[in-house]
Amino acid sequence: MAKKAKSRTIAVRLISMALTGYYKTFSRPRQHRPLSMLKYDPVVKKKVLFLEQKRGGTK
Amino acid sequence: MATPQHITLAQSLPPRLLHFFKRFPPPQLSAATSSAAAPPSETITIAENTSSSDPNAGASTYEVPLPTSTATSNNADVGWKKNPFLAFKNPSTGNWHPPHYSLRRQADLFKLAQTHNVLPLMPPSPKHPELKAQKRIEHGLRVKGTGEGQRVKGKYWERTLKTRLETRRKAMESMPDMINLWRERGHGRGWKKYPSGKEGKGTAELFDPGMRHAWVHERAPTSTA
Repeated sequence: MAKKAKSRTIAVRLISMALTGYYKTFSRPRQHRPLSMLKYDPVVKKKVLFLEQKRGGTK
Repeated sequence: MATPQHITLAQSLPPRLLHFFKRFPPPQLSAATSSAAAPPSETITIAENTSSSDPNAGASTYEVPLPTSTATSNNADVGWKKNPFLAFKNPSTGNWHPPHYSLRRQADLFKLAQTHNVLPLMPPSPKHPELKAQKRIEHGLRVKGTGEGQRVKGKYWERTLKTRLETRRKAMESMPDMINLWRERGHGRGWKKYPSGKEGKGTAELFDPGMRHAWVHERAPTSTA
């Protein structure tokens, strides 16, 4: 039986680089480069860099 | 031998306390008398003196020979004579006997003894003020960890708060540099290192200020070429 086709887009988690544990979830095309953006972190109350979390080994 | 101090002391004591001392003579007094004259009959004279000075102790005649009877009485008597405030195990039968005085009566006696300044004559007891103060220090507020030499464990977030704040502070210190580097690298186009998302890992492996110069050095030849 053929494997189920992988979806074109994936949901990714962008982690605050202030290391507060705060994160935002976005979806991006699977083939796109990892996301990174400046966003507001409510814990430190500043705009900080958010980087995409590395995905697990099973994927 | 009954000294005048003992007699005046006995006259000043309330009947309840006096009765207790008659039944269970304090070892300090009996030791002093035995060292003075040795025979147990001396302790009897003390008891007689105290009983004569006490107007309420009419039925104390049978109590008088108790100090002498301890030598010949059974084990249970010896145990209670040692300390009537503690439970006593009969060594021959293995039976446990409760203390001669209940905790309530012990507390009453200790309150009386404290008001009449005869605490040093009282045998050790769980109701002794010194022991109670010691326990209060040992147990603190009765909350686990508040006693002497103990630490409150605290919730997980309380135990880890300090280190978490420290990592956050370090991360925020290097944040402007990190953002500048990210901007220089085309808003993430040239960014290679991404977080694993596991706790306890700082931003050191993703970014350190020295890395930036290395990258600038790498880019410089390509831009000139």
